[in-house]
Amino acid sequence: MSQAAHAIAPPQSSPQSAARNGPPPWRAAARRAAYGIAGLIIFIGIWKAALIWEWAPRGTLPDPFALPGTLAQEWQSGRLLPAIGSSLVHYFWGLALGTALGFGVGLAAATLPRFDLMQAYLARILRPIPPLAWVVFAIAWFKVSHAGAAFVIAIGVFWVNYFATYSAVRNVDPRYYELARAFGHGGYLARAFSVTLPAIAPGALSGVRTGIGQAWMTLIAAELLGVPGMGQEMNAAAGVGAYDAVVVYMLIISLVYTICDLAFSAVESKVLQWRP
Amino acid sequence: MASVIEFSKLSYQHPGAAAPVIQGLSLQIEAGSFVAVVGGSGVGKSTLLRAAAGLTEPTSGDVRFQAQPRPGRRTRAVVFQDSRLMPWRTVGGNVGYGLEGLGLDREEKSQRIASALQLTDMADYGRRWPHQLSGGQAQRVGIARALAVKPDLLLMDEPFSAVDAITRRNLQQELIRVWQASGAAVLFVTHDIEEAVFLADKVVVLGGHPANIVGSYDIGLPRPRDRGAAAFAAQVAAIAHTLEHH
Repeated sequence: MSQAAHAIAPPQSSPQSAARNGPPPWRAAARRAAYGIAGLIIFIGIWKAALIWEWAPRGTLPDPFALPGTLAQEWQSGRLLPAIGSSLVHYFWGLALGTALGFGVGLAAATLPRFDLMQAYLARILRPIPPLAWVVFAIAWFKVSHAGAAFVIAIGVFWVNYFATYSAVRNVDPRYYELARAFGHGGYLARAFSVTLPAIAPGALSGVRTGIGQAWMTLIAAELLGVPGMGQEMNAAAGVGAYDAVVVYMLIISLVYTICDLAFSAVESKVLQWRP
Repeated sequence: MASVIEFSKLSYQHPGAAAPVIQGLSLQIEAGSFVAVVGGSGVGKSTLLRAAAGLTEPTSGDVRFQAQPRPGRRTRAVVFQDSRLMPWRTVGGNVGYGLEGLGLDREEKSQRIASALQLTDMADYGRRWPHQLSGGQAQRVGIARALAVKPDLLLMDEPFSAVDAITRRNLQQELIRVWQASGAAVLFVTHDIEEAVFLADKVVVLGGHPANIVGSYDIGLPRPRDRGAAAFAAQVAAIAHTLEHH
């Protein structure tokens, strides 16, 4: 299919075939960029209008054009980088721990019938508890520390990976296990390494990716509740009415998440290059 | 001639089923020979093949393997109806699957993979991914994977039923060449009588409820066989007649 589509796709430089088959790729990209930027400009325009006509309570809406200055200020105050650093520490520990445990427990539950039965009710009871409800215990057990924040994040990430892995294993085509037996790989470990792990890679990795997003959401929420990091800085800034600083932190949160997600999808497409 | 496998008084009943699928079936396959099993659907052809592959335990009777295990080889290998290539391995990786755990070093392994791909005319495809292959090519790789382990018995479960008619004829012709080069015995299950007569030294007809062997034909036609010959048509007609009356 893809080869055939490639064969009839027009060469990029030929204007004739471009007219027949739609615009060349660079034009589509330029168009996408133009519309995207237009959307941003309109958004900032509405924002500015809201500021001028005071649609929001006075003093709660920062000026979008003042934000670069605020960013520079936050940077110079020496609070920005430590806050980002602190958040990243929580993030990576929570993410790593939650991913590893969620994957491991999900894999064990899906492949070991007795363990599956033993954990079924427990998972049903614990699963609906929102990770943020654990903040109480995080603070009680770990005080206000990195470990506490990582703990809360890990809980959310754990469930995402647990369910992704569990259902990926359940969806492995049993014909591959039959193949494994027919070619001398019928033992638990041989099956696990030659069939289960590669077959669940797409499902498990998409769980990891969801976890990357989920961890970030949980992280900021946990920090808003008192753990040091960007969330706490936002809270502090809001407390003194510095809403421009709040927005700066929000944008940095967005940026860091985007970088993490891009890095992961690069790894993912490398690992899953066998997919059509 | 020595036999590679011997089914004796084989019966199989699906768990919970009222009646057995196969009852009291006995069959010997001689080393290096090509045996085709024909029969309608649900008659237990695949069960017989799965029992030979060790994928199904017979309810009673037994399957005796006469071939001696030899280092670096497996006594039997299976070609499935769907090519069943692992999409996460390259073509070469798929062909090497059965070689893992045989104690071969890297050099020997890639040698065996290369010659199996060579034999099935897929030498240039070792680095491709399965999704880049056509149905017929995937089936060739499936055959290469089975041949790579140098089996004494090659078990083939309707391997050409999912490819188009022209590709099927090609693959049938090539299978003869590959089989003769490998020296393995073949147990080939099919519902296509013409295919069975074209390929096999011996055609075994399964029929009845529960199933058993209702006819066995030694095909003496010289190879390469001519589907247009009167003797070919007569042989096909005789087998069809047996099938229809059971």
